[in-house]
Amino acid sequence: MTTTVANHRVPAVEARGLTKSYGGKTVVNDLTFSVQAGRVTGFLGPNGAGKSTTMRLLLGLERPDSGEALIEGRPYAELSAPLSHVGALLEAKAFHQGRSARNHLLALAQSQALPARRVDEVLDIVGLNDAAEQRAGGYSLGMSQRLGLAAALLGDPRIVLLDEPVNGLDPEGILWIRNLMKKLAAQGRAVLVSSHLMNEMAVTADHLLVIGQGRLLADCTTAEFIERHTDPEVYAATPAVARPALLEEAFMRLTANAVQYAAR
Amino acid sequence: MTTATIARVEQSVRPTHRPGFTDLMRSEWTKLKTLRSTWWSLGMMIFVSLGFTIAACAVYTHEFPTLDAATQTQFRQDTIGLILQPGAQFAQLAVCVLGVLLIASEYSTGMIRATMLAAPRRTPALLAKAATFAGLVFVVAELVAIPSFFIGSAITSAHATTSITDLTNVRAILAFGVYMSVMGLIALAIGTLLRHPAAGISLVLALQFVVPGVLTLIPGSIGKHLSAATPSGASVMMSSGHNASNVYSPAMALLILLAWLAVLGAAALTSIKKRDV
Repeated sequence: MTTTVANHRVPAVEARGLTKSYGGKTVVNDLTFSVQAGRVTGFLGPNGAGKSTTMRLLLGLERPDSGEALIEGRPYAELSAPLSHVGALLEAKAFHQGRSARNHLLALAQSQALPARRVDEVLDIVGLNDAAEQRAGGYSLGMSQRLGLAAALLGDPRIVLLDEPVNGLDPEGILWIRNLMKKLAAQGRAVLVSSHLMNEMAVTADHLLVIGQGRLLADCTTAEFIERHTDPEVYAATPAVARPALLEEAFMRLTANAVQYAAR
Repeated sequence: MTTATIARVEQSVRPTHRPGFTDLMRSEWTKLKTLRSTWWSLGMMIFVSLGFTIAACAVYTHEFPTLDAATQTQFRQDTIGLILQPGAQFAQLAVCVLGVLLIASEYSTGMIRATMLAAPRRTPALLAKAATFAGLVFVVAELVAIPSFFIGSAITSAHATTSITDLTNVRAILAFGVYMSVMGLIALAIGTLLRHPAAGISLVLALQFVVPGVLTLIPGSIGKHLSAATPSGASVMMSSGHNASNVYSPAMALLILLAWLAVLGAAALTSIKKRDV
C-alpha cells in the first residue's frame, strides 16, 4: 500500500518541547511547533522572546535543556551534508573578517563536497561578485547580510532559516529578499524567517509562529492571525486588501503582556 | 502503512559524494591558507628561528676558548642541541600564537558558527583543523631545521663536527618539526578551551616562558624535574641525548610533550562537543 497523505508528512522542521535556560532564566519554554515546506513561515516575537535562541537550538549550535529539535525528522547533528538540507543566516555575522567572501564560501563548499563552481553561482545570486575578493571585514552591514545569504544558499538547501535577513539592506535589497523567500517557498522549500518588521512579514509570510518570553503564543496563517487578534470593529471596518496592514496592531495586542524590554 | 514524504524540491546542486574527513581537511586547508596571520606567523617563525640559531652558534663558537671545561664538553657532545634548541625556543612563540588564533579567532569573529553548521558533529572539524595545521607547521619547521643544521654546523665547525649522516642528527632535525607541530596543537587546544584570542595567547605564553622559570624556584631536584617536564622543556627532544645538564632523555621529552597534548587535546575535544556556540 502506498498511501502518502499530508498528515503523515515529516515536517521540514520540528520543535518538540524545546526548553533552554541560561543562569536560571528560561529563554525558550516548552516550545512545540513545526515548519512546513512550500510556504514562508514568519517567526515573530518581541526582543528577547527567544527567536534567535530557538533558531540556534534548531541548528544544533546550542543544546536544549529538554525537548528536541528535528530537521526532516533527524537532529541537525546527524545530517551528513547539512548545508544541502538547511541553509541558515543567523543574526550575528558568521564569517572571519580577514577572509574574502570567495574563500569563505569555497571553504564551506569544500566541507560539503559541493562543486567549486557553486561559489560563483551564489555570489551571482546575492550580487557580491564585484566584492568577492575583498576581505569581508570591510563589508557594510548589507554586504555582510548578502554574504550570509550566499552561505545559506550554498548547498541549494530544502530548508532555509533566516534570522532578521533584511537587517541593513537597502529598499532594493529588501524587495529582493522578499521575492527570494517567496520563490524558495514556491519551489517547495521550507522558509522560516524571523523579523521585527510587521509590514514586511504581512506581505511575505503565509504562516506565522509568534512567541513571547519563550512561549508559543500563536501558530496559524497570517490572515487568521490578523482576524483573531485585531479589534473586531477595526477588522470589520478595514477593506480586505488593507488587512495585512493590521498585522502590526494584532501583534501588539497579542504580545502586550509578553514584552520584556519596553520604553516607559 | 504510512510512508513519510518530504516535499520534492529540485535541487540543482548536490554534493559530489558523501562528504567525509578529507573534505573537512580540504576546507580547513583553504581556511588556513587564506588568512594573513598564518603567513605572518610562519614567516616570523622562520626569521626568528634562523636568527637565533646563527646568533647562538656564533656566540658559543666565539667564546669557546673562555668556556669552562664542562661547558666545552657539552658543546662537543651536544652540538646538535646547541644548533637547534635556541631557535626552537623562540620560534615556538609564533607557532603558539598562530595555534591559539586559529580557533579563538573563529569564536571572536563568529566564523565558528559557520564551521559548526557545516560540520555539526564538531569533533571531526577540530581534528581536521588540527591535522592540516600540524602538517603545515611540520613542513615549514623542517624547512627551517634543515638549513639551520647546515648553517649551525658550518659556524661551529672550528670546535665540533656534526654530520648529516649521523642518525642522531637526523633524528634531532625531525624532532624539531615534531616539537613545533605538537606545540602548535597544544596552543590550538588551549585556544579551543578559552575561546578568546588574548586569554589564550596569554596562557600559552605563560605556560611556555613563565611556568618553567617559576618551577625551578622549587628547591632540590623536584623543581628541576618539574621545570623540565613543561612543554618548552621538551625541546630537549632535539638534543643528542649526551648532554649531562639535561634532566630527561630525548625520548622521554617526546613522551612528556605528547602527554601534555593528550590531556589538553582531550579537554579541547570534550569542550568543543559539549559547549554552546
